[in-house]
Amino acid sequence: MSDTLTDTREDVSLDTPWNVIVHDDPVNLMGYVTWVLMKIFGYPESRAAAMMMEVHQRGRSIVWSGGREKAEFYTQQLQAHQLRTSMEKAE
Amino acid sequence: MKAAPTLKGGLRIDIESALDWMVLRCIPYDARAGGSDLTERLAEPMAGSEGEEDWREFVLPDLRDAFNLQLSTIEQALKEVEGDEETGEIHIAKEDAELWYGGINQAQLALAARYDFSNVERSEMPPGMRSAWFRSQAYFYIQSVLLEHVMK
Repeated sequence: MSDTLTDTREDVSLDTPWNVIVHDDPVNLMGYVTWVLMKIFGYPESRAAAMMMEVHQRGRSIVWSGGREKAEFYTQQLQAHQLRTSMEKAE
Repeated sequence: MKAAPTLKGGLRIDIESALDWMVLRCIPYDARAGGSDLTERLAEPMAGSEGEEDWREFVLPDLRDAFNLQLSTIEQALKEVEGDEETGEIHIAKEDAELWYGGINQAQLALAARYDFSNVERSEMPPGMRSAWFRSQAYFYIQSVLLEHVMK
């Protein structure tokens, strides 16, 4: 019989979700912002238009939340479409 | 200038005057004027955030390449237009519509960064600003037709 004790612990660490945020700018057409959100995220027009209006009226809108890697991908995609975009850890 | 969708799903721009030519040739010029880096302005909201340096090092160069491709696509198309200094036709294929939209949008963003049109009455604009405002209206016209009739 072995004298070695094996201590097994489960370490479940949930990744903190990240928010992808689109910021307002004075140039991009409202229809274009809606179209970009539909194209990148596959949102229906009503949801994309609501987010666009939030950007327009409040200056920013959280357009997606989830894992960091995907948040980086979406942020890059949105900037490639010339939307001012950032990502931050969800509170 | 007139812009209308084609049966193949693209866009045709009819150039009707020397002024139209001037406006179209100003797209890449306006986009690059002022030496302001669009990628930096788009990433401004990320300032101070975790990973900002990596973003600048690994992501922004790719965005710069993509934005340069948009402008070179427009420049090449303008070089290939058959016509004279008064008239001509530009055909934008459906698959190039986003490149054109993006290139024109770069010009719009650069003009907006340089001039704040929203706070000045048109009659009070100095000549350079008024000319820029006129170009921005022409750019909005082409963008609107592209978006509504080609990209959507």
